[in-house]
Amino acid sequence: MRISLTPRAALVALLALPVIVLWPLWWVLLILVALWALVVLADALLAVDPRRIRVRRESPTQVRLGSTVSGRLLLTNPGSRSASLEVRDAWNPTAGLASQRSAVQVPAHERRAIGQEFTPTRRGRHRSRAVLVASRGRLGLARRTARADAPGEMLALHPFGSRRHLPSRVQRLREIEGLAAIHQRGQGTEFDSLRDFVDGDDVRSIDWRATARRRSVVVRTWRPERDRHVLIVVDTSRTSAGRLGDSTRLDAAFDAALLLTALAGQAGDRVDLLCVDRIPHVSVLGSTRTTVLHDMVTATAAVDPALVETDWELAASTIAARARRGSLVVLLTPVEAAAVHSGLLPVAARLAKDHPLVLASVADPALEELAAGRGELEAVYRAAAAEQARAERSGVAHALERVGAHVVDAPPDRAPQALADAYLALKAAGRL
Amino acid sequence: MLATVVVSVFRSFYQDGPLEPGAPTGQGSKAVVQVLEDLGVDVQVQRHTADAAQSLREGRTVLVTDPTVLQGEQLDALVAAHEAEGSGRLVLVQPDFVTLSYFSSRLTPGATLDEATTLEASPGCGDLAHGARALAVPGEEGLHGRSVLYRPVEGADGCFTVDGGSLVAEDDGLLVLGSADLLTNDGVGAADNSALVLNALGGGGELAWYVPSATDPMGTAPQSIVTYLPDWAAPLGLWLMLVAGIALLALGRRFGPVVLEPLPVTVRPQEIALGRARLLQRAGDRDAAATALRSAAATRLADALGLRHERSLDGLVAALAEHVDHSPEQLRALLGPTPVTSDQDLVRLAHDLDRLEKEIDR
Repeated sequence: MRISLTPRAALVALLALPVIVLWPLWWVLLILVALWALVVLADALLAVDPRRIRVRRESPTQVRLGSTVSGRLLLTNPGSRSASLEVRDAWNPTAGLASQRSAVQVPAHERRAIGQEFTPTRRGRHRSRAVLVASRGRLGLARRTARADAPGEMLALHPFGSRRHLPSRVQRLREIEGLAAIHQRGQGTEFDSLRDFVDGDDVRSIDWRATARRRSVVVRTWRPERDRHVLIVVDTSRTSAGRLGDSTRLDAAFDAALLLTALAGQAGDRVDLLCVDRIPHVSVLGSTRTTVLHDMVTATAAVDPALVETDWELAASTIAARARRGSLVVLLTPVEAAAVHSGLLPVAARLAKDHPLVLASVADPALEELAAGRGELEAVYRAAAAEQARAERSGVAHALERVGAHVVDAPPDRAPQALADAYLALKAAGRL
Repeated sequence: MLATVVVSVFRSFYQDGPLEPGAPTGQGSKAVVQVLEDLGVDVQVQRHTADAAQSLREGRTVLVTDPTVLQGEQLDALVAAHEAEGSGRLVLVQPDFVTLSYFSSRLTPGATLDEATTLEASPGCGDLAHGARALAVPGEEGLHGRSVLYRPVEGADGCFTVDGGSLVAEDDGLLVLGSADLLTNDGVGAADNSALVLNALGGGGELAWYVPSATDPMGTAPQSIVTYLPDWAAPLGLWLMLVAGIALLALGRRFGPVVLEPLPVTVRPQEIALGRARLLQRAGDRDAAATALRSAAATRLADALGLRHERSLDGLVAALAEHVDHSPEQLRALLGPTPVTSDQDLVRLAHDLDRLEKEIDR
């Protein structure tokens, strides 16, 4: 516990000036100092002991980034004197607490609440470092400060901005599965049912034996497989730290991963997630269909890019251990010459042999803006450099496609939809 | 110009001022000093009180040219030297009441002379007249203003008296001259002024010509503002400092810890492209830039026309020629590896490629 002065203590000391003018003696000065110290000390000691104030926190544990939540700090004064308190709740700055300090008067045997509004500006784990309660004396000359034991922690979740694209993709999934009003026949290996031939059906799917038993022509319908396994691997290395517009490349990658997870959950597939750089560090494995999205949002909330290179060999062995043969592997990593030369290409080739492999990359929209630059000579040179970079990227993408991967390269606002569409295309083609 | 230089050089050899011993100007006293030296008198010029007092103790005659500027401490030193055993004669030029009271209680300044006057030596002067019969002094235009007449009482002597006030007065080794103009180059020649001055100063054979100066270590003891403050100022100041300290302590209080937060790292990804652009521009590699722009445009055009990328330039040109106004030669120059000679050409090429792509889009 600490005793500290208030500005009012200095103002009170000014009251001694007439005395000094009237009796300008040194011992008078000493007496005044002693008197002042006595008054201040007495005020501090007569203040309510801040350690006796009970502090309880009612704050949300999770918040979606970009939204505002409110919490409360409850202060109970068990003593018989009214307490005039100053409270500081020391959250980290990006937790977005509107005001860390507040003053509140708590009468004897009563409880008061301090309202708090959080608008986090950073994804991840936020923590209150300390809650300090300072009790001011009745004269307001000094205060006693103590730490209260009220730990606070809050997880700012990924905003999942791409979830507004989910309904349209689910609709498309239903069409593929043949459950929607439009009877589009999906291809697959799982026999679903027999129905009458309608115009537009593929003649190859006519079941001649069934047709022979009936008068009309009958086709077999197939539905896409359910209960398939999707493994999403997110690269959290150096290249994912790139700032594209307002957020990082990693944020866009998680956005895409979450949309794919939600869609795959609707399609009845199991989804696992791995985050890799030098080590595979975060994983969401074996969640049930209903909880996987929540687990994934929670697990990825605190993942930040690291300035290291990805060890693709290690990633490949982890993938091999986690994914059964034939399950869909989605690598979320930027298609860049440097990253590919660091060993992605042979690993992709090996993975593509055993699994359908989708390589989703978040492109830099700034590169497109640069490439469209005209006018000044400098802008033209920049456009040329941007075109070179894009040519390199497309060369790398071609190389990856040649070894059997499906490459999806889109800017951050379109990357989640592009990945979901690639997944739906694989479903519709019966590759999954 | 040479004359100016010479004059300025010669002028810099003396210091001008009232009764300066080296100054040949009207207010200086070079004439008196020169004549005294010619008469065999050892004249020392002094500017510090300590030196003057020392000379006085050693028995020299000491002339103080402007005693009114001396401060109490300096006057005390001179009084002490004057009262010491075997001290020399002290000559004060036109001292005021306060200054004179340090040295003698029997001399007081009295009336002043408003008009230019010639004073006759009174019959009972004796040695105090120093052989002069009459002294001439200016009135209001004197070097130190009007001449002052001193009243001698109780055994002090005075000479050149008008209405009970004397222009020259003496009291026990202290000689007081009522006008500075007796010593100046302008005034020493008037009447019998020279006789009085030479006899009074040259009498001892050794003379210290003391000109009080502002750089005197004894005289510069500053009259600080502190002495004018009331006695409660110091405790009050101390108390205010204490209050300021308390206020700083109170305002500088840190309420709880400083919260540190490690923020995730972000990188600007287009730095590589920008750096490459700067490299291209600095190297002036227009052809490389043109190639990049052309191949990108060709790829997009081939996509738009449904051609395979691997096909050659000829195929692209042939396919394009049907859709656009350009002739095949123009297209070939635009898309082919034509050298780009100037920066303007490069900018124009970029715009032409844009236009071609827009044309195909339509």
